[in-house]
Formats: sequence, C-alpha cells, structure tokens
Amino acid sequence: MSTETGLSGRMGGVTDAGHVGGLVLVTLLATAVTFFLAPGFVVYPLAAVVVSVAYGWLADEATTARTLALAATVVTVLVLGLIMIYLVVRSLPAFRTMGLGILTKTDGALWAPSEAVYSLVPMMWGTLVTTLIAAAVAAPLGVAGAVFISEMAPGWARNVLKPAVEALAGIPSIVYGFIGFTVLNQFMMDEFALPDFGSLFVVGGVIGAMALPTVVSVAEDAITSVPGPMKDGSLALGATGWQTTTDVTVPAAFSGISAAVLLGVGRAVGETMAATVILANVTELPDPLYDVFGNTITLTSLIASQYGIASGLQMSALFAAGVVLFVTVLGLSLGSQYIERRMQRKLGGSE
Amino acid sequence: MAETSTSALTRGTSGSLRYAAGAVTGLGIGVLLASLLTFAGVLPTGVVAGVQLLDLLAVVLGAGALAMIGVGAASSVGLLDTTPDHTAGTSLAAVFGIVGFVAGCLVAAQTLGLATLWPLGGVAGAALGVGLALVPREDVALAATGGGFALVASLVVLTGVIDSGWSWQPNGLSVVFSAGTTVPLLFSVAGLLLAWVGSQAIAGFGTQGRARGASLLVSANAAGMIALLVVLVSFIAVRGWGPMTEGVRYGLFWEPLTWFQVPIWEQWVIVNAPTIWFYWPFAMEGVAISNPVNGVAPAIVGTVWLVVGAVTFAVPLGVGTAVFLTEYAEQGRITALVEIATNGLWSTPSVVYGLFGLAFLVPRIGNQSTLLSGMIVLGFMLLPLVVITSREALLNVPDEYRDASAALGVSRWETIKTIVLPAAMPGVITGTILGVGRIAGETAPILLVLTGEPFPAEGPDLLDFSAGFTSSFPFVEVSAINPDALLQSATALPYQLFATITAGVGDVSEGFRWGTALVLLLVVMSFYAVGIASRIYFRRKLDA
Repeated sequence: MSTETGLSGRMGGVTDAGHVGGLVLVTLLATAVTFFLAPGFVVYPLAAVVVSVAYGWLADEATTARTLALAATVVTVLVLGLIMIYLVVRSLPAFRTMGLGILTKTDGALWAPSEAVYSLVPMMWGTLVTTLIAAAVAAPLGVAGAVFISEMAPGWARNVLKPAVEALAGIPSIVYGFIGFTVLNQFMMDEFALPDFGSLFVVGGVIGAMALPTVVSVAEDAITSVPGPMKDGSLALGATGWQTTTDVTVPAAFSGISAAVLLGVGRAVGETMAATVILANVTELPDPLYDVFGNTITLTSLIASQYGIASGLQMSALFAAGVVLFVTVLGLSLGSQYIERRMQRKLGGSE
Repeated sequence: MAETSTSALTRGTSGSLRYAAGAVTGLGIGVLLASLLTFAGVLPTGVVAGVQLLDLLAVVLGAGALAMIGVGAASSVGLLDTTPDHTAGTSLAAVFGIVGFVAGCLVAAQTLGLATLWPLGGVAGAALGVGLALVPREDVALAATGGGFALVASLVVLTGVIDSGWSWQPNGLSVVFSAGTTVPLLFSVAGLLLAWVGSQAIAGFGTQGRARGASLLVSANAAGMIALLVVLVSFIAVRGWGPMTEGVRYGLFWEPLTWFQVPIWEQWVIVNAPTIWFYWPFAMEGVAISNPVNGVAPAIVGTVWLVVGAVTFAVPLGVGTAVFLTEYAEQGRITALVEIATNGLWSTPSVVYGLFGLAFLVPRIGNQSTLLSGMIVLGFMLLPLVVITSREALLNVPDEYRDASAALGVSRWETIKTIVLPAAMPGVITGTILGVGRIAGETAPILLVLTGEPFPAEGPDLLDFSAGFTSSFPFVEVSAINPDALLQSATALPYQLFATITAGVGDVSEGFRWGTALVLLLVVMSFYAVGIASRIYFRRKLDA
C-alpha cells in the first residue's frame, strides 16, 4: 500500500480505477480554468465536478478521496501563489511610475494623487514606530505571562489565565479600535493636551495589547516543550525554581520564545482596523520624526482608509503598500518558522 | 541538629523582618493600585477626608520608603537575619544601566538643554545605575534604589516641586505632561518598585529573595492581563447593555396559532394557543426612519451567512489538505513547502486578503462588492488555521490505531474514514470554532469586498426554497438558496461598528455604537466560549 514513492507513484498506483481520479481531476482543472478565463460560466464545470465526484465516490471511493485531498492541497498552496501574483501585478504600475522612489522618496510632496506622486515612506515609518512600541509592550509582558502560565502558576490560576488569554485574542480588532477612538483618544487629548485626535503612541500601545495573546500562547508552547529532565537536573542540584527558569528553561526555549515574539511583531505589522480608526491617517511624516505623540499613517491604515476613493494609479499604490506589508510579514513568518524548526531539532535531539 | 537546619531554612522569615518587609510590600501594592485608579480617573484627585488624595498617597509612599530604607540599614549592619549576595547582580545592573541612560539623556537634553552633549548625561546616568547595582551589597543596593526612588517621588510631591500647576512639554514631542497624570504614573512606578524590593526583603534577599521578587512581578503581570480582559469586556457591556436591550418586550399571550377555511362549511376555524412572544428590536430590526429603535439585524444576518459560507468553503479544503499531508504524502520537501505556505498564509495581514479579494474575486464575481466574495475571502483566511489544527489533530492520532486497522486488512481510505478522522474530529472542531471566532470579528477584508450601504434596513435574504421551470438551460430550477442575494453587497457586525465610527456622530446615536460593539463582542466571544469549552470537554474525555 505504501510502497509507491513520489507523486507519480502515488497517482499512478491507481491503475484499475485510475480513470475515476483522472475524471475528477480533469473536471476540477476545467473549473479552475473557467474561473480564470470566463467566470460567468463556472457553474457548468462545477456541476460536472459534482457529477464526477458523485460517480467516483460510488465507483472507487478511495481514489476519489485521495484525489480530492490532493486537489485541496494544491488549492491551499495555490492561494498563497495567487495572493503574491495578484498583489505584484496590480502594484506594478505604481512601481513603474515611481521607480524605487516609492520606497525612498522623503522630500517634497510624499503622497499627492493629483500629481501622481506616491511615496510609501510615511506609511513605512508609521508602521515601524507603532510596531516598535507594540513590541516593547507585547514582548516582555507576553514572555512574562508565558513563564507564569507554564512555570509558576498554581493549577487554578492556569485554568483561569489560559482561557482568558485566548478570549483576549478573540476580541475583534475593531472593538479595540473603537475603545481607542472613543476613550483613549479623548483621554490623551484631555490629559496630555495632544494637538489632534490620535497618535502613534496610542496605536502602538493598543496594538501591543492585541499582539500580547499571540506572544503568550506561542512562547508558552515553547517553554512547555522544554524536556522535564533538563529542569529536574537543575532542581536536583539545589537551584530554586526561579533560577531554573532563568538559567535553564528560558535559555533552552529561547529560540521558541524569539519565534513567538517575531509572530507577535508580525501580528502588529499587519494590524489594520485599530490603526485605521485611532490614527488621523495624514500622509505626512511626523515632525520631528521621533514625535511618537504625533500623527501619521501606517501601511495597513493607508489601504483601509483610501480604498474607497482610490482608482487607477492610486489603487496601484495601495497594492504596492500591500506588497511591502506582505513581504515584511512573510519574512517574519519564515524567520520564526526557521527558528522554531531549529529549536525542535535541538530539543528533540536531547530528549 | 534538627533545630539548626530548621533555622537555616527559615532564615530571613523571622518575625520583625517579615512584618516590616511585608508592610513595605503591602504599602507598595496599595500605592500602585490607587495610583493606577487615579490615573484612569476612577478615583478623584480631589480632597478625601480633608487631604488631597495625591498628598495622602505621597505620605503613604514616603512611609513605605522609610521603612524599606530602615530594613535595608538593619540588614546591612546585621541586625536582621538575612542572606544578601555581594552585589545585586549583573542582570539588575543592566536594567539599572538602561534606566539610568534614558533618564540621564532626558535630563541632559530636556532639562539642561544640552544640544549635542546630551549623550554625556546618558553615560553619567548609566554609570550611576550600574554602580548602584554592582558596588554595594545587595540589601543596601535594593533598599537604596527601591526606597530611595519612592522617597524622592514622595518628596517631589510633598515639597511642591510638582504641584497642581506643574506641566512639562518635552522638546519636539507634541505632548504635555501635567501633574494630574505625571504624579499617578510616577507613584505607580515607585509603588511597584517598592513592592518588588519589599518582597525580596521578606525572603531575606539573596536567591530566595530574587525568586520571591520575580514571582511578585510575574504574577502582577498575569493579574494585569486578566484585568485588561475584564476591563475591556465590562466597559463595553456596561455601556452597550442599555441600548442593546432597549424596547425588549416579552410575555405569554393567547394567540391564533393557525387558521384555515373548512371547504364545505365555508367557515374559518381559528386555533388559539398560548405562545411565548419575544420582541428584541436591537437584534430583530434594521435601520429605518420608521423604527422606534434601530437595530443591527441585517448585520447579524450578514455575519452569520459570512461565517457559514467561509466554513463550508474552508473546512473541506483544510481537512482535505491535512489528510493528504498526514496520511498520503510522505514527509519530505513537498510537505515542508505546504507547511511553510500555510504558516505564511496564517500570518498574512487581513487587509492583504482584502486586497487580493479586490483584485482576484471582485472582477470575477459580479464586478462589485458581493456576499459571495466576502465568504470566499474569509474562507481563505480561515483555511490556514483549519489546515494547521487539523494537521495537528491528525498527527496526534496514535500510529497504533492505523497499524491495528491495517493489520485487520482494512484499506487505507477505510482506515482514515472510520478510525483516523473520527479520532481527530475533536481537534478539528475546536480549531475551526476558534478560527470562526477570529474571522467573525475581522473587518479589513470584508471592507474591501463585501460592503455597500452601511446601515441597510434588511439583511441578505439567502434562503429561498422554490422550484419552477425556466426557458434557459437547465430548464428546471429547484433552489434552496437565492443566488441574487449571494451577488449583492451586504453588511456585517464588524463593518457596521466601523461604519458607526466613520459615519460621524450625527448619523447614529452613541448608544447604537456601544450596542453594536456589545453584540459583536457577544457573537465572537460565544464562538470562543464554545471552542474553549469543547476543547476542555474533549480533553477531559480523553484523559478519563
């Protein structure tokens, strides 16, 4: 059953009833092609898929199931490819007009749709500043929370805290944005005399709170996966629980913890609604640059606040912002996956 | 012998030290909580029992600081039975160094107004911080920094350096620090520091003390997270409850249940029965001028359909992918690639999904914002989570199950269908429910592909059971769903909340906004509650 190897072996092994899998695959392929070329007629190949799957299920259930599972896998991978292709294709006009200036232009008008000037520098700066503030909030507090849950908390506290952290992750970002907009913005203007509604500082803090659950749960997984014997050895030598945590557990889980922080940072970079609603979304750099209580715009809030009024080149510039976002977050995700894999290998070896 | 070993173990927890240090910790925590409440505006800064609240806090803080300095002094001359280390340690020195550097830079640049020489102030501050941590013995260092900082904070207020008229605008920052916010912030930092140092003193400094202090900080952090959740939820619940339940009427009524005309008798027969009557305008009405209470029913309906559509789209695909990866494909480069792809998809920003939907789906489906595009985009978002959780669930099914089934001569697909998938189902279900909770609250993607009119009077009318003949292929039309509704724009709860914010104050009342937020929170949280509860249930069942 499992002697065949490779994709051809697996697909070719179904010699007797190969036509069933082939039929399903062909109809699926036809559906995909129709959806690309003539989406209006997609109903007909879709009906053919249903018929052929029904027939296949009756004739050779196992092959049909395997073919469908393969098709699902292909679709999943395809989605990522399609996202990349469509983002890049739609952003090409903006890149062609602005050249590299779209990422580097810092003088003169930065975002003037009427003059076809689009520079993403204010957005990238806004994203960078909010992400740094968010990371400064989420990383230490999140790691401390993970240490508490996995190493120090008594049973009842763990039973309260774990669902609470998950529920915290479940609060929609627009709700955070709403509270930030109505309560925090007003508070900052009243108590800290901010000149206008919204500031990078508030957005960074709110996004930090939103990234917190991600950091906690991933870092907790990393800390829990440190093999017990490592800790037992330290405790047996007379170290206190806290010494074991700081000198054995956390260093052993360090790569997993940094992966957690990277994931949290990725969340913060991609956070949209809170930033859109809280910030004033002015397409200028704050003056001076380090004025974290000033206003600017982030890559995400640029897209969310301008998609409705944009067309043509401006829309293309929004897609360019999407490309920058996507590349950044994908890089963070790949980095954290690489680190996590390395940690698994390291800890797996010592187990 | 037994006597001495006991005293060695309980050293530092003896009477007087324990009381004094415990009092310091208690005062610190009290000041911390009171200052935070003052900062948030819960406690008034005005006169309480004849004294300004902040002055009162300053006195308490000062007393705690003096007590801490006293404990440190007594410990350093050997009056107390403590076990301090030679220094406060390098990690603490690093922290003090950073704090000193930042403080030094700020003082040099802002207070002294040094233009280019401000790093010098930072270096001086850092040197002071590191020196304070490394030179004196641990008990002295901690008492001096914790107690000293609290004492300075207290004196700054008591001597009127920062009085009610004080304000400070840092150069280049568009923020003004006034006394009303600065003092509570300063006090909460001082209170936390004092509590931390005090708790180290309770355990007699040294290794045990460090463990105690760390445990205080980490527990405080965890308590803060719970507090954040409680504050967020209750804040919205308190404001949204009234508007959400406005005009609710219910009761038991004697009502005509059904009526029909008897053919020959030509008389109407009316069957009366008691019915429970429940009218909840906020959840049952849309927005219309004629409504006494405007509601969010269209958005609720839209959210429900979005979730249903996304689940029917993503769950088969996701589970299929997971089955293929775990059961059919051998673990190699292709599986790794799919894994990387799903993880990449999982962290892709939601607004990027929206852009993708705008570029890929909208031109193909109706060329406008449609419910179907929204469903598919949210399905794409749900897909990676379903793949990841299903895969984990499938991998957690022990190989013995598969082997036993194969040994009985059951084919691979039959094994998957009857053994592996049922065993993995709990994990798949909980993962999916948690994912649904996430996408139900997502705004950014549907903003770009789904929405039209922000406050419609009616939701998408998707269910339509009809049958008939048509003139075009395939001539017979039997439908359960209404394709027109799929191809029209709709609204959803998160979008509605966004629209209430951007629409300005004139269009909707404040209560409507908070009510919408509460309904959204309830919908999302109920998904999470179901997901978490089912996971706990399945885990208990597995353990039992």
